[in-house]
Amino acid sequence: MGNEGIARAAIEAGVDGVFAYPGTPSTEISEIFNHVNSFQSQQANIEQYPELTRHNIYFEFSINEKIALEKAIAYSIGNRSSMCVMKNVGMNVACDPLMSVTYQTIIAPLVIVVCDDPGCHSSSNEQDSRYWGPMASVPVFNPATPADAFVMIKEAFVLSGKIKLPVIVRTTTRVSHTRGVVTYGAINAENHEAAFDRLPEHINIPARTATAHRRLLDKLKSENVLSYLALNSRIVMQSDAPELGIISSGVSTTYAIELLSGSACADHITLIDLGLIHPFPEQEVIAFLKRGFKKVLILEELDPIIENAVRVISQQNNIQVDIYGKGFSELVSTGEFSIDLLTKVFEDFTGSVLRKTERLPLTNTSQFLDKLPPRPPTLCAGCPHRATFYLLKLAIPREQSELIMCGDIGCFGLGALPPLRMIDTINHMGMSISMAQGLYESFNDSGKSKKVVALLGDGTFFHSGLTSLVNAVYTRANILVIIFDNRTIGMTGHQSHPGASRASKYHEIDLPNLLRGLGIEFVETINPYNIRESFDKVNSGLLFNGVSVIVSRAPCIFLPDLSDHKARNKKIAVDPSLCNSCANHEDIDLSCSRCYAPKNNLSRARARLIADVSVPGNEELCPANICNHGFFNSILEGDYKAAIEIVRDKMLFARTCGDVCHRPCELFANNTNVVPIKKLKHMVSSVDENFRDFSIPIKRALDSVKKNKSVAIVGAGPAGLSAAYDLVQNGYSVTVFEKEHKAGGMVTFAIPEFRMDKAGYDFEAMQLEQMGVQFHFNAALGKDLTLDQLSNDYDSVILAIGTNKAKTLNLIDRNIPANRRSDALAFLKSFNEGEKKLNDGDVVLVIGGGNSAIDAARSAKRLCPDNTVIVTCIEEEGSMPAFAEEVMHARAEGIEFNCSSFVGACMFSENRIVASINSFESKVLLKDIHCDHIITAIGQTAESGIAEQLSKDDSLRINTDNNYSGYKNVFAAGDICAGNNMSVIGAIASGKKAAIGVRKLLEGYKFDYEGDFALDRLNRNPMPSIKLRETIIDNNIRQEIEQYNLFQSCRKCNHCIDNFGCPAMVKVDGKVQIDMNRCTQCGLCIDVCPNKAIKWVYENELEPVTAI
Amino acid sequence: MNRNMKILVAGVGGQGIVYLTNIIVEAAMLSDVPVSVSEIHGLSQRGGVVTSGIGLGTNCTGFIGLAGVDLLIGLEPLETQRCLPYLHNNSSVIFGNYRVQPYSVNAQMAAYPDVGLFGKYLEQQCREVVFINQFPESINSVLYNIFLLGRATRMKDFPFGAGILEEAINNVVTGYYKEKSLMAFQLGVAFEMNGQPA
Repeated sequence: MGNEGIARAAIEAGVDGVFAYPGTPSTEISEIFNHVNSFQSQQANIEQYPELTRHNIYFEFSINEKIALEKAIAYSIGNRSSMCVMKNVGMNVACDPLMSVTYQTIIAPLVIVVCDDPGCHSSSNEQDSRYWGPMASVPVFNPATPADAFVMIKEAFVLSGKIKLPVIVRTTTRVSHTRGVVTYGAINAENHEAAFDRLPEHINIPARTATAHRRLLDKLKSENVLSYLALNSRIVMQSDAPELGIISSGVSTTYAIELLSGSACADHITLIDLGLIHPFPEQEVIAFLKRGFKKVLILEELDPIIENAVRVISQQNNIQVDIYGKGFSELVSTGEFSIDLLTKVFEDFTGSVLRKTERLPLTNTSQFLDKLPPRPPTLCAGCPHRATFYLLKLAIPREQSELIMCGDIGCFGLGALPPLRMIDTINHMGMSISMAQGLYESFNDSGKSKKVVALLGDGTFFHSGLTSLVNAVYTRANILVIIFDNRTIGMTGHQSHPGASRASKYHEIDLPNLLRGLGIEFVETINPYNIRESFDKVNSGLLFNGVSVIVSRAPCIFLPDLSDHKARNKKIAVDPSLCNSCANHEDIDLSCSRCYAPKNNLSRARARLIADVSVPGNEELCPANICNHGFFNSILEGDYKAAIEIVRDKMLFARTCGDVCHRPCELFANNTNVVPIKKLKHMVSSVDENFRDFSIPIKRALDSVKKNKSVAIVGAGPAGLSAAYDLVQNGYSVTVFEKEHKAGGMVTFAIPEFRMDKAGYDFEAMQLEQMGVQFHFNAALGKDLTLDQLSNDYDSVILAIGTNKAKTLNLIDRNIPANRRSDALAFLKSFNEGEKKLNDGDVVLVIGGGNSAIDAARSAKRLCPDNTVIVTCIEEEGSMPAFAEEVMHARAEGIEFNCSSFVGACMFSENRIVASINSFESKVLLKDIHCDHIITAIGQTAESGIAEQLSKDDSLRINTDNNYSGYKNVFAAGDICAGNNMSVIGAIASGKKAAIGVRKLLEGYKFDYEGDFALDRLNRNPMPSIKLRETIIDNNIRQEIEQYNLFQSCRKCNHCIDNFGCPAMVKVDGKVQIDMNRCTQCGLCIDVCPNKAIKWVYENELEPVTAI
Repeated sequence: MNRNMKILVAGVGGQGIVYLTNIIVEAAMLSDVPVSVSEIHGLSQRGGVVTSGIGLGTNCTGFIGLAGVDLLIGLEPLETQRCLPYLHNNSSVIFGNYRVQPYSVNAQMAAYPDVGLFGKYLEQQCREVVFINQFPESINSVLYNIFLLGRATRMKDFPFGAGILEEAINNVVTGYYKEKSLMAFQLGVAFEMNGQPA
C-alpha cells in the first residue's frame, strides 16, 4: 500500500520522530509508526530485536494538526528529523506554523505528508494541497505510485536537510490506498543527538522577515533544488515522432501508462511525468515543449496548477504548441480521474480507439441496475452513537421542535442520514460548538432566544471543540453540547486522544472535571444504553439556561473493552407474533385508519419509555372492537383526525360514545391505572371539523364491492344503525324501518340532553343516508310491517326494535295515583321533550340504581333546584349499575341516596306519598319518606308482541321453535337480545354482531364477531359495577396523556427500522430478525421495540454452534 | 499467466474483501507476477460497499473501468449486481448467496433484487459463472471469502493453482484463523455444485 511504502521510506531515511493527526486517506502511515513505537518500547522486543529497537522512533497522535506540525518543527529544531502526517483538510489547521517557519529555519529534516482526497471518498472537501507549495514556498513532491512515493519520501528528507525547509510530499487516495510492488532498502538506524543552537533565525521579528522572504525564495532556486527537479521530471513514454506530448503528474501518469503503453497510438506519444512540482520544473518543461509537438495534453487531477504554469512558460518562451488541459474532452477540475474518463480523453486527443473490442459490455444491464437498492453506510450494530441519537430522537421530537442540531465531523455524522436524521449542520472539525453559539446569538439578537444544540465526538472535542466551548462559556451562550464520548477517535480506526489515552505513557484528561473547571454549571455524564435515566438528563440539559454539557459515554464496539462483552449463554430474539402483527384482528382486511409513519411509531416508543402508566390496549374489552391503542397513539401523535377515523372504522357514534359510553375497556381487573379512553373519545370528537367530516366512511360505503343482497333492519336505534353502518360499507343494500318519525331510538328520548350531545347523535345517525342506507320512518312492526313479509322480501332481516316498555311495581301502581307516579322512560321522554312539570320544592323519590334512575333523578333536580330528590336502590353504595361518574355528579347536585334498601310499603294520604324504606339485608324499616312524586326505574321490556316470543341462539339468529324452522334469515340485535336495557356500546356491538351473522349467511364470511368476548361479558353482567374513581384527566388532556403508554402490537409498526436502524436488524417477510453475526448484544433494541417483541433468549433455548 | 488480468472483489464491509485481496496479492508475488491493487473502502466498517481491484501483469493497475473486469468475485449478491457495468462478455463470475440486507430494503424503500434471475442472466452473458446458492452449513460466514476463493481455483481462467493459494494463505493469515482458513479453502476447492443458479 502506498501509505506503507511512505512509512517504510521514512524509516529507511532515518526519521527520528513522527507527529500526526489521523485522517483518511493518511491514517495508515501514522498507524505504522504508532505500532513501531509501541513495539520498540516493549522490553521483550528490546532484548529480542536489538537491531530493530536501537533507533527509537518517537510517535504521537497530537490533538490536532497544528500542534502536530508545531511539535514536528520544534523536534527538527532540536536536531532530530521529523515527519508530520495528515489529510488534506488537516493542512488548513496546520498552516499557521508552516507559513512562518519557512522565513526562519529548521535544523534536522522535516517532511510533511499530506494526503488529498479527490472525489471526496472520506473528506469534507477535495482541496488541492499542491497549492501549499507556492503559498508557503516549500518544495512539493507529487508521486504517481506507491513506488514513487517510497522514493520521493527519501528524497524529501535529504532535500529538506539540505535547504533547511520543510518539504511536502502530497499523495492522493489512489496513491495512498493503492498496493504495488516496492523494493525495500536498508534502514538508516543512526541516532541523532538532540541539540539546540541559539540562532537568530529562531526569533521571528518584523525587522528580519523582509529579508527572510527573499532568502526563502533564493533557497528554492538553489542548485540543491534544481537537481531534484531534473531527477523527478522523467520521460516515461518515449516516441521518436514528436507528434503528441503529454505532461502528467500524480496518479494520472499511472492511468496513462496503462491505457497507452502497447496501444496503437503509443508510437506517437511522449510523456513526461513531473514528480517534484514546486518549484516548477521550468527547464525540463521548456525542453519538453521544444521537442516540436503538434499538441500537448496536460493531465492532473483537481486544479490546473501544472497547466497554468505550462501556459505561462510557453508564452514567456514563445513556444508555439497547442495545449490541451481543463475543459478539453472530459478533463475537469473536480473529482477523480478514472480509466473510463481518461480512455475518452486519450481517444479524443490521439484520434485512435483505445477500447478493447474483444471485451463487449454486457447487454440489458439496466433491468438490474435501475432498481438496485442503495447501500449507504450506517453506524455499526451496537454503536453507542446510535443509542445516543435514539435517545435524542425520543427527547427532542423533531417534528414538534425548532431546536437546531449542529453536528460535527466523525462517525457520528452518520446521524444526519436516515433513519436517525438528528443533525442539521455538519461543517468542518470542531465547528459544531461555534455553529451553536453563533446561531444562538443570531436568534438572541432578533429577540428570539432559544437553546441550540451542538453534537460532537470526543476526539473532535479535543481537536478543536474545546477552544470553541471556552468561547461559549465566556460569552454566556445558551447552548447544550452533547459530547459523544466513545473513548476513541472512531472514524479513522480507533486512535487514542487526551480524554481516552488507553496507555500509561499518556496522561488521561478527565473530561467532566475539565468541563466543570471551565465553570460550566450543568455537566452530566450519561450511559446512552440506560435510556430512561439519560432521557431525563437530556431534558434537564435542554431546560438549563446557559452552557450545559452532556457527556454520553460508552465505548466504541471495536475497543477491547467490548470484545468479551458478548455473552455466550444468551442472545436477542424477536417474537414474530408480536412483531408487526395486529393484536386486534384476525381479519386483516378490516379497514384500519391507523396512519403509518416513522414519527407516529416514535410517539409509541417514547410513551413506552417515559409513561408512568403502562397498560395493554385491551381492545378485546371493547364490545365494538375499537382499536384502543391505535386510537390512543394517534392522539399521542397529535393526529386527532386519525383517532376519530379509527373509532369510525368500527362504528358510527364517536361523539355519542364520548358522552355516554360506560367504557368497559377501562375496567381492568385489579388495575387502578386507567387510560381515559372515553374522555379522549369525547375530546377528539369535539374537534368539530373532524367530527363533521364523514367522507372516509361514506367513500368506503360508496366504493364497496356491491354484494347485490338486501337487508332490512327494523329499529333505528344504536343497534340497528350500527348493523346498517357495517353492512352498507360491505356492499349490502340496506333499508331501515323505524316506528318513530326519526332515527335514534331509545338514546334520543331516554338519555337527558345534559348528558349527551343530541344534535351530534342525530348528525352521526343521518350519515347513513349519505352512505346509501334507505330509511322508512313511521313504520312499526306489527302494524305496518310483518316479519314474514320482511323475511320474504329481503335476503336478510335484523330485528333491533329495543325494549321500550317500562317495567313497573304493583305496589306503586296500586297505591299511588297516576299523576303522582311515572316510570323513568316516560318521565325522561316528557322531560326531554320539555313537557314535564314539577312544583317548586317537591320531594321526588326515585326507585332504582341504574342509569335511568340517575338520569331521572338528575332531571327531576334540574326541573327545579329546590326539589329534594332521593334515590333508593337495593345495591350497595359503590356497586350500583349506574355509571360511577353519574352517581358522583348526582351527589354533587344534591341528590340523596339510600342504598341497600327497598320500598317496603307505600301509601298516599293527605295529598302526599309516604314510602317506607327498609334495609335490603335485614328487611327492617329504616325510615319513612314523605314525597310528592315517585319514579320507578327498574328496567324495561320489549313492547312488540313478536319480540316477546323471541329467544336467541349464539349468532342472534331468531328461531321461534326448536328446529329453527322459521325465519332462518332473521337476526336480532340490541336490547331484545340482552333482555334488559343494555348500554349504548352493548347495543352497538350487538348490531355489529348481527351484521356479521348476516354476512356469514349471505356471503360465507368466515370470521366470528371480533368483539364477542366483550359483548358476552356485557350480556353476562349487563350493567357492570363501577367503583367510584377519581377522574384523572380534566383540563389539559393533551399534556397529561403523556403519562400513559397504551401498548399493543401493531401491523403498522416499523419503528425499529424507521427510527433506530441497527444493521443487525433485518426485515424478512414483514418481520424483524436479528442477524447474529452482527449483533453485539447491546440489548438496546429490547427497549426500542414498542411492541415488546424483542427479548433475551437464554442458553437452554439456544441451538449449539457447530460451524468452523 | 500469459496475459494481463483484472480481478474485482466486491462485497460489504466486514466480509473480508481486503483479506481476500491480500491472499491473491501474495499468490501473485509468489508466482512473480506483477500485481497492483486499488481499494475503495472509505466507510467499510460502517456497513458500506467495499470493492477491491487487482491488476495482474505488466502495466496493469488495480483501477477498474467499464467492461474491464476479467474475474469478479462477489461476496454479496447485491454488490455483485452493482458491478455489472464492469463485466464483459468474456468475464468470469463467482458469487455466493450470502445476503447482507441494506437499510433501504429493511425500510421497504427498495426490494432486494432477484438473485436467481441475475444468475441466469450472467450465465447467458458471461464466459463462466459459478453461483454458490447455499454455503455448506459447516462453514462460518466469516470464512465464505476463503471458501469462494477455493472454489474459484477450479474456474477456467483462474490465474493461480490451489497449491500457490494455500501457500499464500499460510503466509498471510496468522493466528486463530489460519487453520480454519485452510479448511474453508480446501472445502471450497472440493465443493461440487448441487444445482444451477436457483
